[in-house]
Amino acid sequence: MKWWRAISGFIKRFHVRKIQVLISVSSITITLLVVILVSALLFDRFSKAAEENTYLTISQIIQQVTSNLELYVTGMEDIFEVVEAKVSQVSDIRNDQELGDQLETILNTRADLVSIALFTKDGKLVNNTPSLPMRKNTKLTEQVWFESAEQNPGALQFTPPHIQNLFKSDYRWVVSMSKTITYRDNSLIKQGVLVIDINFRTIDEFSQRVSLGKKGYVYIIDAVGNIVYHPQQQLIYAGLKYENLEPVLNYTYGSYQDDMDGEQRIITIQQVKPAGWKIVGVAYADEFLTTKQELGDFLYRFLLVALAIILIINLYISAKISQPIARLEKSVKMVEKGDFGTNVYVKGAYEVEQLSKRFNLMLRRIRELMDQIIQEQEAKRKSELNVLQSQINPHFLYNTLNSVTRMAEMGRNEEVVTTITSLSRFFRISLSKGNNIISIGDELEHIRHYLIIQTIRFKNKFRYEIKADEEVLQHLTLKLILQPLVENAIHHGIEKSAEPGYIEISASIVDDHVEFQISDNGIGMNEKTLKGLLSGDTRSERGSGVGISNVQERISLYYGPSYGLHYESEPEEGTIVTIVIPIERAEQSGEAE
Amino acid sequence: MRRKNENCRIFTLMLLLLSIFVLASCSSGSNLQGEGKVLVVDMIVKRDWGDYWNTIKMGAEVAAKEYNVKLNFIAPENEMDFKGQIALMEQSIERRPDVIILSASNYEALGQVTDRTSYYNIPVISMDSEVASAKVKTYVGTNNYEAGQKAAERLVQLTNEQGDIGIINYVLGARNADQREEGFLDYIARFPEIKVVDIKYCGSDEWVAYTQTKEMLSNYPRLDGIVALNAESSIGAGRAVKEMGFGGKIKMITFDNPPEMLELLQEQTVQAMVVQNPFNNGYLAVRAAVEAANGEKLEDKIPTDTKLIDLDNMLWPENQKLLFPFVK
Repeated sequence: MKWWRAISGFIKRFHVRKIQVLISVSSITITLLVVILVSALLFDRFSKAAEENTYLTISQIIQQVTSNLELYVTGMEDIFEVVEAKVSQVSDIRNDQELGDQLETILNTRADLVSIALFTKDGKLVNNTPSLPMRKNTKLTEQVWFESAEQNPGALQFTPPHIQNLFKSDYRWVVSMSKTITYRDNSLIKQGVLVIDINFRTIDEFSQRVSLGKKGYVYIIDAVGNIVYHPQQQLIYAGLKYENLEPVLNYTYGSYQDDMDGEQRIITIQQVKPAGWKIVGVAYADEFLTTKQELGDFLYRFLLVALAIILIINLYISAKISQPIARLEKSVKMVEKGDFGTNVYVKGAYEVEQLSKRFNLMLRRIRELMDQIIQEQEAKRKSELNVLQSQINPHFLYNTLNSVTRMAEMGRNEEVVTTITSLSRFFRISLSKGNNIISIGDELEHIRHYLIIQTIRFKNKFRYEIKADEEVLQHLTLKLILQPLVENAIHHGIEKSAEPGYIEISASIVDDHVEFQISDNGIGMNEKTLKGLLSGDTRSERGSGVGISNVQERISLYYGPSYGLHYESEPEEGTIVTIVIPIERAEQSGEAE
Repeated sequence: MRRKNENCRIFTLMLLLLSIFVLASCSSGSNLQGEGKVLVVDMIVKRDWGDYWNTIKMGAEVAAKEYNVKLNFIAPENEMDFKGQIALMEQSIERRPDVIILSASNYEALGQVTDRTSYYNIPVISMDSEVASAKVKTYVGTNNYEAGQKAAERLVQLTNEQGDIGIINYVLGARNADQREEGFLDYIARFPEIKVVDIKYCGSDEWVAYTQTKEMLSNYPRLDGIVALNAESSIGAGRAVKEMGFGGKIKMITFDNPPEMLELLQEQTVQAMVVQNPFNNGYLAVRAAVEAANGEKLEDKIPTDTKLIDLDNMLWPENQKLLFPFVK
């Protein structure tokens, strides 16, 4: 059972629903059915024709034998008539030299005439040619030819072949023709039996010569079933062979098949009329119906070869179709495992090629997106680090604390308190528990404390104003986006300007966006600087290092590239920075403390 | 790698199917060939002339035709020439026929060469006369002991269970001759008033048999019966009995069926003849050869019957064919 398990395992592994299997199995089944059907039809048609042909051929052969024998027997009948006429005419049969000569002549004309003899009704010899002495103990009155002539007076009788034991000569196989006739013995009209013996050899040779294939043969029986000729006569007498004569005796003409020891035989029967004999041809079906077998054999081989070819072609084609798909499947599997580097290029059917092309495009897109995400993640990390740094800007802290010290020395306690309070508020919002997102209110609060500290430090060199719509305060924003811009406005705009500075910060909702605006009346920028700003090329030496590019980056990372900063500036006039971010409502009120 | 395995699997499946078809078609082809295959059978007999051997040949040929056998009928020039027969056996072994049928001229002398056939896996069927070899598959032939008994039985009837009897045998020590004689004597031994007065061996020579019979008749003029145990003995003895005018006075049983003996039977010089069936011997030997070649198990002996022919039954159709196997 080990092999069985192996086979079933093999079948199990051979997925039935695979394209290759589906194609192979279905088309092989269909072609096979068609081929088998056609073969069966062909076989049926051809074998029927072949069979008919065989029967025809055999019956023609037998017909030939029959007509030969009929001719022969008729010739012998004619001789018998001549002899009978001569014998009847003679007035004294015992002493007629002329009759003897005439019969001698007749006997010599035909080599296969053995003897002519006339016997009385009680079996005494009247006349014989050639005149040989009789043997003893012939028992001639008991012999078939004598008895049947007596029983059928006036009719010519043929005997089956027998040994002629009448005269002192060789023992010969003869067929006897006999008839009761009248003759004149010394002018007395008497009845006797005339017998002419024909050498059986001619008939024997006729019959032997017939060829019905290697094993087939012909036999002859008389009207009551005695064997006249049979090639295996001795075997039949010895009981080693058996010939089923019953149907043969019933037929006078025709063919049928019988089954002898498991072998199909074609029996063909015809009658030799004068003698009442039947010629029976026995042909073996396996020899004669070879066409049928050959055809069957051919078709069988044809079927096998066709099947083999179909199988090969099938497997080839189905492999051709299914293998690119399988390769594609394999590529997809690799992608599924995370290897986006694979490039699929599958040659094959058009559909598969297209599929692979599309798949490749998709893969490329995915790769691009992945790269983008990686880059963005990196940028985010970097900018957050920067923000973190800005939260504890030591330079700003140092400057502020320095101012506080000086103010304390000068006894400006009130200002000291304001500054410290603002500083602490400033840092608190900066940290804001590590959240990135804070409410706009807080952001504005943050910038307000920053500005308080800065106005104290810069001794009221500038004024500022923070405007915000009430509704905007509860919305959320990325934290610390205003402070770097305000720092810029102070350091680059107002500090360098001789005029008293003014910074206005506003937050409002414009066209479904939150818009911050930081405007100053500082020195402004020329166009070149303006361009450099956003790309981050221009960096300030004194700033926190967290420039506007950081703000821009963070906004676009968080909110998408359509959001960000917008600068309007004219030298000597001032700068307006606009920040646009989407509206983001706080999920819980009071989040901004 | 997996893909490769899959391909391999499909390929092996393909090969497997293909090989099955090829095998199937091959085996079917060989089947057909097996039916059409001609077996070669060498039939080595004692001599190739005379009605007896020709009838064997005829029977063998009928079987050869029936069973699709190529038959080589071979014999030395002389029936006594067992050396020549050994040489024929050796030549035959060289040719490697499928089967050898041997009718041994000498029971002992042919034994060794018969044993040698087993080296080459050639089955041997012994026919008509046995041979001293255990390698023989079967013996097809006359039951000689029974034939002797049949002759004795009839002679006992004819002589009314009393009288003197002479035997003309052919070769002392020839197995068939011995068996016939033994069968005859064993049967006779039950009848105390029947005496065997003389046994002669003519060496299968008609002339010797003739002179021996004449001598026997002059030595025992009151002889009641004579039995001759083969064809030549019968012809010689028959001629002697007829010539010396003992025809019908002495009861005579002969063996085999030469035509001259049939004349004597019809004239009642011979009362009965034991007739073997050489046709059946030849036929059954070839049939047994075919069976042996197909590896079938054969009986140790396939005996063929003898018939006692007398004036009453000699013209029965079945006996006519037995007595006169040839249409001349």
